Amino acid sequence: MNLWARFRSWTAAMLRRTRMEREMDEEMRFHIEARAADLVSRGVPQQEALRQARLEFGWMEMTKEECRDAVGVSFLEAPAQDVRHGVRTLLRMPAFTVITVGVLALGIGANTAIFSVVDAVLLRPLAYRDSGRLVAILMDGENPVSVANYVDWRDQSHAFAAMGAADFWSPNLTGVDSPEHVAGLKVTQDLFPMLGIQPTLGRLFVEGEDKDGADREVILSYRLWQRRFSGDPNVLGKPIVLDGNAYIVVGVMPPGFQFAPFWATHSELWVPNAFGARVHNRGGNSLRVFARLKDGVSLTQARVEIAGITGRLEQQYPGTNRDAVVTPLKEKVVGQIETPLLVLLGAVAFVLLITCANVAHMLLARGAARQKEVAVRAALGARRGRIVRQFLTESLLLGGLGGAAGLALAVLATRVLIAMSPTNIPRMQTVTIDLRAALFLFSATILTSVGFGLAPALQASSINVNDTLKEGSRGNSEGISRNRLRSLLVISEFALALMLLIGAGLMIRTFAALQAVDAGFNPHNVVSMVVSVAGSREADPARRPIFYHQLIERVRSLPGVQAAGAINHLPLAGDLWGWPFIIEGRPKPRPGESPSGVYRMVTPGYFEAMRLPLIRGRDVSETDKATAPGVVIISERAAREYWPGGDPIGKRISFDDDKTSPPTWLTIIGIAKDAKQDDWSATPFPEVYLAAFQNHDFLGDSGSEVASHTSYITLVARTASDPAAVAPAMKEAAWSFDRNLAISQVVTMDGVVADANAQPRFEMLLLTIFAAVALVLAGVGIYGVIGYSASRRTHEIGVRMSLGATRGDVLLLVVRQGMWLALAGAVTGLAGALLLSRLMTKLLYGVRPTDPATFVAVATGLGFVAMLACYIPARRAMRIDPVAALRCE
Amino acid sequence: MDKQLDLLQGTLDMLILKAISLSPLHGYGILLRIQQISKERLEIQQGSLYPALYRLEHHGLISSEWGESENKRRARYYRLTAAGKRRLLSEAKRWNQMTAVIAGILQATPEEL
Repeated sequence: MNLWARFRSWTAAMLRRTRMEREMDEEMRFHIEARAADLVSRGVPQQEALRQARLEFGWMEMTKEECRDAVGVSFLEAPAQDVRHGVRTLLRMPAFTVITVGVLALGIGANTAIFSVVDAVLLRPLAYRDSGRLVAILMDGENPVSVANYVDWRDQSHAFAAMGAADFWSPNLTGVDSPEHVAGLKVTQDLFPMLGIQPTLGRLFVEGEDKDGADREVILSYRLWQRRFSGDPNVLGKPIVLDGNAYIVVGVMPPGFQFAPFWATHSELWVPNAFGARVHNRGGNSLRVFARLKDGVSLTQARVEIAGITGRLEQQYPGTNRDAVVTPLKEKVVGQIETPLLVLLGAVAFVLLITCANVAHMLLARGAARQKEVAVRAALGARRGRIVRQFLTESLLLGGLGGAAGLALAVLATRVLIAMSPTNIPRMQTVTIDLRAALFLFSATILTSVGFGLAPALQASSINVNDTLKEGSRGNSEGISRNRLRSLLVISEFALALMLLIGAGLMIRTFAALQAVDAGFNPHNVVSMVVSVAGSREADPARRPIFYHQLIERVRSLPGVQAAGAINHLPLAGDLWGWPFIIEGRPKPRPGESPSGVYRMVTPGYFEAMRLPLIRGRDVSETDKATAPGVVIISERAAREYWPGGDPIGKRISFDDDKTSPPTWLTIIGIAKDAKQDDWSATPFPEVYLAAFQNHDFLGDSGSEVASHTSYITLVARTASDPAAVAPAMKEAAWSFDRNLAISQVVTMDGVVADANAQPRFEMLLLTIFAAVALVLAGVGIYGVIGYSASRRTHEIGVRMSLGATRGDVLLLVVRQGMWLALAGAVTGLAGALLLSRLMTKLLYGVRPTDPATFVAVATGLGFVAMLACYIPARRAMRIDPVAALRCE
Repeated sequence: MDKQLDLLQGTLDMLILKAISLSPLHGYGILLRIQQISKERLEIQQGSLYPALYRLEHHGLISSEWGESENKRRARYYRLTAAGKRRLLSEAKRWNQMTAVIAGILQATPEEL
């Protein structure tokens, strides 16, 4: 059919429709007038006759609707008709509509928001070309690799199209306005081409640029380019000063580009990685290795090949190459957050299920009131399918309105989620309500509408027409099956709510357990900042120690500061270096089995400022200078691990590798309490604290490659009151020495501890919100069912009371019915929780997934809510006047 | 048994066909005719008549035209079509067979078994 014909047929149909409407109206008016005339002729007064005739005829609109139906409506007109009818029905009960739409909006909106997070963080491929083929190769799947090993893997493997590596490098950017400590990476030349991302401006590194001496180019991130160079395209070819050296800008990456994706995620610049002498180094592990699988090569094949290569290398160089693991890059990025997010998605889906059950409830209750309407339509020949369709249209209308409101809610919710989310969730900033989220919302809306609408629709369409239409019928037939369905809904609502509450309860206990964890130090009223000398005058080894000394002294003398010191890396916030050492007088350990410790360098005053107690021995002091004998403080764990049962104080250790002879020995002078390192819930590793002012890397005159990573200190100050208030004075104190000092990571220790617990707090908060919503919905659900059932039983209760039942008996009767439902729900929910809480194991700390206390507390609490929800209708039932109840029959 | 009988679902169509098989009638007339023949023992909800009429017309069993009523009002008259006549015959036959069978069952005595 062409368009014109289609239009003609449509207009014809419309004209026919109008005529039919007019004739229908006239025909029915004639009927009523004729009937009235008959009545008048029998002596009924005119007015009364008309009224009676109309009454006898019934609801004219409904009849017309049925007539239109009988004539058959085109597939285009039918839904429109259903929608019209649905809108009318919903408008007739505004309170119901508003509440239902609100509840649905909450459920659908929350689900969409969480889905958009899951989608952006978990589901979406990484933003590199064909990113599914990218892998990371790391020791134990997480630790860095030595340069020599990387070179061997790259040269000996065939499974990879390319293999690149990156070192973390955080230089001082100077020469433009204020100096800044910038996070960056040193990357091998083949790394960026492997990712398949083209720069917005300029070019990537080319072959040969990662060779020694040719490595003075830099690629900027879009953000850094905008922030420090105002997006100036002429920046290409110009030098910028990093750690005092000039680098030529060769390119700017596109906005949103991020590398590396799972570590050093805030990198804002990239320079070539010239290995130099490190190319023979198998001891210092600092490289993260990335590779692209060759086409046709599977992950397993690549793993087998790497296992073969590392196996050979291990034989050649014992103690190296153990446990190199090939992991898909995406798994590295999302692996940690996957379980928590899926748990949250499950939880919010539960909320939606409860919402569905609740709305289904309300529709069922309303369906009871609409039995007559349905019966009339059925008697007039409306097919069951037609009635089901009408009811479903109403449900879809409700759901659609809920979905629309939910969309607005989801947009809002994602903003809140992004703002409150812990910083360690990758790609969180990319969360938006986009087409995929909208599609999810749409499907959720349809499914939800059918979910809550189908049962009431089927129920409504299956009524017994004759019984319902009989005059005076109270629709007793609805009794059993309808009530059974409603009871089932309440039971499932309770079970779901209980599971959510247990999840939230376990998270709350986890969080409480985490709050009770002893950090080792006292984080209250401590402020810290990283001061970097790189690129400034103070970097000069001749000036550096004097500067550090004077800076700490000046901070100590600031008003409000009680104690101050410095360390290389702040616990929980800073880097973590693990270094092997040897113990004097012990046989040389086998390769890979030497003692090791987290390597810290501290100045006098650090332990005092952190209130990290020394269990025994003494603190490092001003006399522990470069010229004095080397000293070291070890942690309790190190003492236990390496001197079990013995006294480590006075013993000597050395970090020199066995090539140097004789090694520089450090005498253990004290044992410090264990302090948290990078993971709040983990047991700390053995730790060693060297005296900073006798360490040549720290002082900058060792000439070793490590020195370039030690050109900064982390100042730590204990304050009398609000630590953040002292931070500006501390910065000024540093800049009063040299305006070119880069100051970064100004944090309070309380903030650091909060950040370390941000993820469990986030999980706890969301689960608790979901559980609270679930609790309210379930409470309302049981209240609705018991209230409804009690009101249907008014007559029965009246009979019981007139036969001598006391008010107490009535109370018990009503409450018992509700409590049975609650009990059934609780038992189901407990069983479900026992099965499902295992999935949360990864999220928990200090509490088992089947924690009896949580289970009992939640079940009791929920029981109490159920009791309350039943008590209100029960009280109403108690007040029934038996005489009135019986008379109204 | 109740004085007024419930209308079995679906039997309304047959009654309408029968009523207008005697002479063309308007809607209200059909109602009166059925009540008259049934000696007021059948109760039909008045409004329910029209959807049935529209359906029958849609199926081609009856046809309608506007005419003038006994008291000079414009009214829509329904008459049986050929298809409607055939349908009435077959429905009546089916109905009679069924009532005979059911009556036979209800009159059965123990001796016959």
